[in-house]
Amino acid sequence: MQSKFSNGTARITRLGRKGCDLMEALGRAGVFLAQSAVGVPSREGWRLWVHQMHFVGVLSLAIVLVSGLFIGMVLALQGYTILVDFGAEQALGQMVALSLLRELAPVVAALLFAGRAGSALTAEIGLMKATEQLTSMEMIGVDPLRRVVAPRLWAGFVSLPILTVGFSVVGIWGGYLVGVEWLGVFEGSYWSNMQANVAFVNDVGNGVIKSLVFALVVTWIAVFQGYDLVPTSEGISRATTRTVVYSSLAVLGLDFVMTAVMFGGL
Amino acid sequence: MTETPFIEIEDLYFSRGDHEIFRGVNMTIPRGKVTAIMGPSGTGKTTLLKLIGGQLAPDRGRVLIDGQDVHRLSRKALFTLRKRMGMLFQSGALFSDLDVFENVAFPLRVHTDLPDTMVRDLVLLKLQAVGLRGARELTPAELSGGMARRVALARAVALDPELVLYDEPFVGQDPISMGVLVQLIKRLSQALQLTSVVVSHDIKETLSIADYLYLIADGQVVAHGTPQTLDINQDPRVSQFVHGEPDGPVPFHYPAEAFYRDILGQAALRQ
Repeated sequence: MQSKFSNGTARITRLGRKGCDLMEALGRAGVFLAQSAVGVPSREGWRLWVHQMHFVGVLSLAIVLVSGLFIGMVLALQGYTILVDFGAEQALGQMVALSLLRELAPVVAALLFAGRAGSALTAEIGLMKATEQLTSMEMIGVDPLRRVVAPRLWAGFVSLPILTVGFSVVGIWGGYLVGVEWLGVFEGSYWSNMQANVAFVNDVGNGVIKSLVFALVVTWIAVFQGYDLVPTSEGISRATTRTVVYSSLAVLGLDFVMTAVMFGGL
Repeated sequence: MTETPFIEIEDLYFSRGDHEIFRGVNMTIPRGKVTAIMGPSGTGKTTLLKLIGGQLAPDRGRVLIDGQDVHRLSRKALFTLRKRMGMLFQSGALFSDLDVFENVAFPLRVHTDLPDTMVRDLVLLKLQAVGLRGARELTPAELSGGMARRVALARAVALDPELVLYDEPFVGQDPISMGVLVQLIKRLSQALQLTSVVVSHDIKETLSIADYLYLIADGQVVAHGTPQTLDINQDPRVSQFVHGEPDGPVPFHYPAEAFYRDILGQAALRQ
């Protein structure tokens, strides 16, 4: 009886400690974000940001655009086989565009971004920590939050929404290739149905808002995991995995919440 | 001499988890001299440097650098103070995305508005001092350990700091690079009137450059003095370390149960 009781309290203690640890980590991550993302960049800061835009944004273009193309093509193919049964294949353009703009582009681009750029950011910052580069920067009197973290954060914030828009554009073109060029949907109805049924603010705007939120969350997770990791090779590998897992879950969870608010009539 | 010491460490306590690393350390480090802090591995010498540099905060006690309490400064003031210090890391800690030239130029570029031509001259002067002017275009990955440490030394003194902290500068060096480093630290300290703090356990090299020594063990300063006085110190903890005796107050063996019992096991004891 005694041992059962103490077993129970031990379990509750563990749970409580886990909760405290989680809260503490969230607090650290919040302070970290505030300290690194807020502030006016210097001229050198701009240069570093441009450099990171290339690394984080431009180098992710290929994977994001190619994925967009294939997803657009698959959407058109699947959509056509269903719509044609109802004689509604003219609505293909609208279907492809709305699926991409509202859901697939923000979510898939964010997932790809977490895998391509997020993991690289974590590993890079983590390795800089493990090799004492961050410490030596501090000792030179340069704040690594401003010098290393801030340009990477801002590059992520800016580049993911742009990548998302690129994803949508290429996806819609992919849908056109399959639907119009291959399956023979009338070109006029593909475009005009799309034009008539896609609202700029509601559909394009909400998609961009989603991608802004995903950009913040994914980049934040990636750089924080890098900065906060245990500086060993095992620590780096764990943190890189955590970046991809946490970002993916956060993106999918937040997507549901935002969809409910934006399109669920709540 | 009535000059005030550059660094004063008062009653410093520090622990990691349950492990107490410092229990009331007191030190004064004179201006313009080479002070060595020695002790067996694992006594927290590097931790002490991090406490001096303000990267770790003590549980109790304080560290004054030129009269300023390091751990009570704001983040901004701490970074300003750090412009007056240089630190040589054991690993060199060079920035892997920059070449040798840019590594040494880094402190100049971020803290001064000097024109490029002047930055170039200053960097080449520092690289000349460590004998690596010809290696300016190499990346850190192309350098040997000794070269990396010399580049790091050039970077540490790029802003002509008043204080340089050396973390195990001689570890893992071949005899030639060791000799080079000893000469460099000595020459730089004298030429630039630097206050130097050398953390090391290489006795011969450290004794040859230090003006004053602190020996730490068990979280406390066990002895201090000039190299000559430490050499004749009778304290067994001091003489074991200074003369490199394998066994003594610092045991050769990590704590374990009796050897006989461990090898033969319980069965043998029963017989």
